[in-house]
Amino acid sequence: MAGASSKSSTPMLAIEGEGDRLSFEGVLGLCTLTQARQALEHWRKQRKSRVLDVSKLSGLDTPGAMFLCELRDKHVELAGVQSEHAALLELIGGLPRKPLTKPPTIARWRQLVIQLGKGADDFWHDSLDILTFVGRSLSAFGHALRHPSSLRPASISRQIAETGIHALPIVALMAVMISIVIGYQSVAQLRPYGGEDFTISLIAVSVLREMGVLITAIMVAGRSGSAFTAEIGVMKAREEIDALNSMGLEPFDLLVLPRMIGLIITLPLLTFFADIMGLLGGAMIAQSLLHISLSQDLERVREAVSISDFGVGLIKAPVFAFFIATVGCMHGLRVRGSAESVGRETTRAVVKAIFLVIVFDALFSVFFEKVGL
Amino acid sequence: MSAAARSQHAEPILSARGIVNCFGKQRVHDKVDLDVEAGEVLGIAGGSGSGKSVLLKTLIGLHRPDSGKVLIEGKPIEAISADEKAALIGVLFQQGALFSSLSVAQNVMLPMREYTDLPVSEQEKIAAVKIELTGLSADSAMKFPAQLSGGMVKRAALARALALDPRMLFLDEPTSDLDPLTAGGIDELIMQLNRGLGLTVVIVTHDLTTLLTVCDRVAVLVEGKITVGTVDQLARSHDPWIREFLHGPRAQGAMNARKSNHGIR
Repeated sequence: MAGASSKSSTPMLAIEGEGDRLSFEGVLGLCTLTQARQALEHWRKQRKSRVLDVSKLSGLDTPGAMFLCELRDKHVELAGVQSEHAALLELIGGLPRKPLTKPPTIARWRQLVIQLGKGADDFWHDSLDILTFVGRSLSAFGHALRHPSSLRPASISRQIAETGIHALPIVALMAVMISIVIGYQSVAQLRPYGGEDFTISLIAVSVLREMGVLITAIMVAGRSGSAFTAEIGVMKAREEIDALNSMGLEPFDLLVLPRMIGLIITLPLLTFFADIMGLLGGAMIAQSLLHISLSQDLERVREAVSISDFGVGLIKAPVFAFFIATVGCMHGLRVRGSAESVGRETTRAVVKAIFLVIVFDALFSVFFEKVGL
Repeated sequence: MSAAARSQHAEPILSARGIVNCFGKQRVHDKVDLDVEAGEVLGIAGGSGSGKSVLLKTLIGLHRPDSGKVLIEGKPIEAISADEKAALIGVLFQQGALFSSLSVAQNVMLPMREYTDLPVSEQEKIAAVKIELTGLSADSAMKFPAQLSGGMVKRAALARALALDPRMLFLDEPTSDLDPLTAGGIDELIMQLNRGLGLTVVIVTHDLTTLLTVCDRVAVLVEGKITVGTVDQLARSHDPWIREFLHGPRAQGAMNARKSNHGIR
């Protein structure tokens, strides 16, 4: 019916007549509504009693019917309504047709104040949450250490494969790239003083102490921390966590602990791997920019670096791993209801994990400086 | 209604010919033919996993069948442009598929914003009418999908499906997950839209009450084949699944509902 004759062509509306009687011909609908409204705007203001002839309308849809009902409310008489249009008019005319309620607008400065307050409140609750979760994780971790039989080797080894072995290529690439960056910068800066040979020790020390572990931790936070949140979050959204609880199984032991232990095992190993790759990258730089052979390069590295540099870098890895896993799992368990919240929590988890990694790295730097390592 | 009378001379608004869909080795649809007449309410029924939803997706062109074709008004569905299709077909997805970052009113206005150049005030008016048409109050228009109950989600999604006044409405399980009273309200709404707006409606459902009270004809998918007919015709079928379906204990209540409902009609 509506528009059957105007399948492919755009629907047309013709408005004819003069004085207090107008007639519509064609299709009155979504596409012709603006035209009809403009034509009638002028006409309606001029006269008191008006008749609109709609007997020649070939098509009428809901916006068109809404328009006619509005006219009827304003005392325009509709003449010659076809029976098939009458049902539609009756249906639309029977609706209350209330305008959409607009949400109350709040002044900009008040919005700012509200946001500030909300932000502070969120931060407070966030900090409490992290503290609680860290405490809980530590207690669960301690319990697991005292009762190793309660651990789940299968899921831990799966986590190690997922977070460790699959991350090897990208970690290697990042480590090599970062030492190339440091190498080029230091060669350029040290050359005027004739000290470009120190580039080797600079790369070795910075990779072993800071860059290796930092780059690896950031990579893992983006890669595995987000995966933890998404995995646990989807389980939460699909009520799988509730199912575990109802079976008397502790989601914390089943989901959080294997991830945490897995990551605490893998991150130091990954860091060690990144250190090796970083030194290799340094050797490459030495070879290409300074024309120093690999054996000479290794000799220099041994002179420049002590075992404590290596240890300082490596000791940070499990701490970072603990925080990455904690934040990832915590945000996963904080997912509420919809899938939308999984995305939001994942973003938060990654941002927070990287933030914590860098904060703790700074604290470690200060600490090691004081201790004199 | 006059759908039966009209069907005798008019050509079907949608016809599917020789639809074959396979998933792995399983042949879900085995040369399915289906005609939808303009102005009718067609129900598609079948057991879980019988390929109802896939058939619906094939009919609206979201799923490309392994062989066979779908014609809308004689035109192959792949040849219909996006804006033509939007004006032709409205779809209510099983979970509503409302955009969660938009309010109900914004959800309804989205297709209008994309496909028409109506001023925003006009779009808002139309959206308000559509939302009221589906039985929601004007206050719920500003709510977000997460704040709505199951029945309200279906109504809001229906309002969005109706945004461009499509001529065909496809409903995927419109009454699933709803309590019987709310489901009854949705059934009533479908009939009202079919009569008032002259919409052609295709419903995928295994809700017997919907099938028996709302649908003019029912297509039953059993083992990849389709059987189409009115409920009375199907009730005389010899297929064991259809017999069980229409004569089982759950069907009796629905049959009673149908009798009382047809009395009103």
